[in-house]
Amino acid sequence: MDDLQFRRAIYADPNTQDAEVLAAQRQDVSKQKFAKDISLLDARIKQALEVPVPNDLCNKLILRQTLASHQVQKRKTRFHLALAASVAIVGGLILNFMQFSNAYHTLGDYALAHVYYEKDSIANNANDQVTLTSLNKKMAAFDGNFSKKLGKLLFADYCRFDGMKSLHLVYQGKTSPVTVFIVPKNEQLGLSTAFNDEQLFGSSMEFKDNNIIIVADKNESLDVWQKNISETVSWSS
Amino acid sequence: MMTKQVRYEALVKALHSDLYRYAYWLTHEKQVAEDLVQETFLRAWRALDSLKDEKAAKSWLITILRRENARRFERKRFDMSEYEEATITDTKSVTTEQELENHWLRDKIAKLPTEYSEPLILQVLGGFSGEDIASILDLNKNTVMTRLFRARNQLKEILEEEPVKRGVYNG
Repeated sequence: MDDLQFRRAIYADPNTQDAEVLAAQRQDVSKQKFAKDISLLDARIKQALEVPVPNDLCNKLILRQTLASHQVQKRKTRFHLALAASVAIVGGLILNFMQFSNAYHTLGDYALAHVYYEKDSIANNANDQVTLTSLNKKMAAFDGNFSKKLGKLLFADYCRFDGMKSLHLVYQGKTSPVTVFIVPKNEQLGLSTAFNDEQLFGSSMEFKDNNIIIVADKNESLDVWQKNISETVSWSS
Repeated sequence: MMTKQVRYEALVKALHSDLYRYAYWLTHEKQVAEDLVQETFLRAWRALDSLKDEKAAKSWLITILRRENARRFERKRFDMSEYEEATITDTKSVTTEQELENHWLRDKIAKLPTEYSEPLILQVLGGFSGEDIASILDLNKNTVMTRLFRARNQLKEILEEEPVKRGVYNG
């Protein structure tokens, strides 16, 4: 290894572990001196570059990171909260949709289901009787009025008819109660003028703002009920 | 979570000094260097999972720091490498003769072309090998070795023609 090569190698890296360089150094005193000089130079450079590091820098770095990741965690918590809220809202909407959506296609279907649901709560021979006055008080909400009694009225109250406020009347029938619904007109459910299943049958009458739906068992004559209702009901609006 | 914290703290403890000194070298200002190191470690924390090889941690951090430093220039749009300014502010804190000499030598290194001083700093301060420096600076190894050779060569010449005159320097 010639001198120039040696110098280049030492200049480039005074701590070189290159075997050739180390061997050349061992054989030549002047090379040893040169290598030592450059090592000293390097030590001086190193010393010059090792400026004092602020004492608290290490702690500051750890502190700052801790604070920063705490912030991130807080943001995450907020995000999770928002996510939970969104899920709750969506859940609520779905529940709402399921509860008040039209599971039935026509008023008739719904009316039948409604009657079956309440079938056991009102007995045909019950003694309760609703007066015409209190019936008409309730009818006022639909701007309607009955001029006379249609029979023994066992029950009259508002109920939810597929999400709509409606009036639910139960009359004593021949063998089982006859149910009459006064339902505001609604676009969602198709009106079925006549409907039936194995036990019950029913019909709808269309008035200006309301429909009246009659559901009874097959011993009743719906025509008579229809006729009686249309003759006695009047609408103020 | 905890292991990440432990890793991070170990990294900070082991390498913050080297990083700060390198930052100080780049910025010549204590406060800026400190900010730079903080930014670097904050970024390192976020990307800590991408650091697979702990041995590579130092050059990884140096690379982040260099990138952060470049970003600082983009933001400020003026040249911070004006060394004289820092010399003035720093002289006040210089007290001992040793520190004076260190200061003088730093000034000489700073006067080298950046392309020479940069690998020199990385080698002496960072303890990086030629290969490491080549990858940090995105150069090939031979270029790095040549630049290291020229850096020391020039520095030695400067030192030989201008011996330390502390009296003169002290004014």
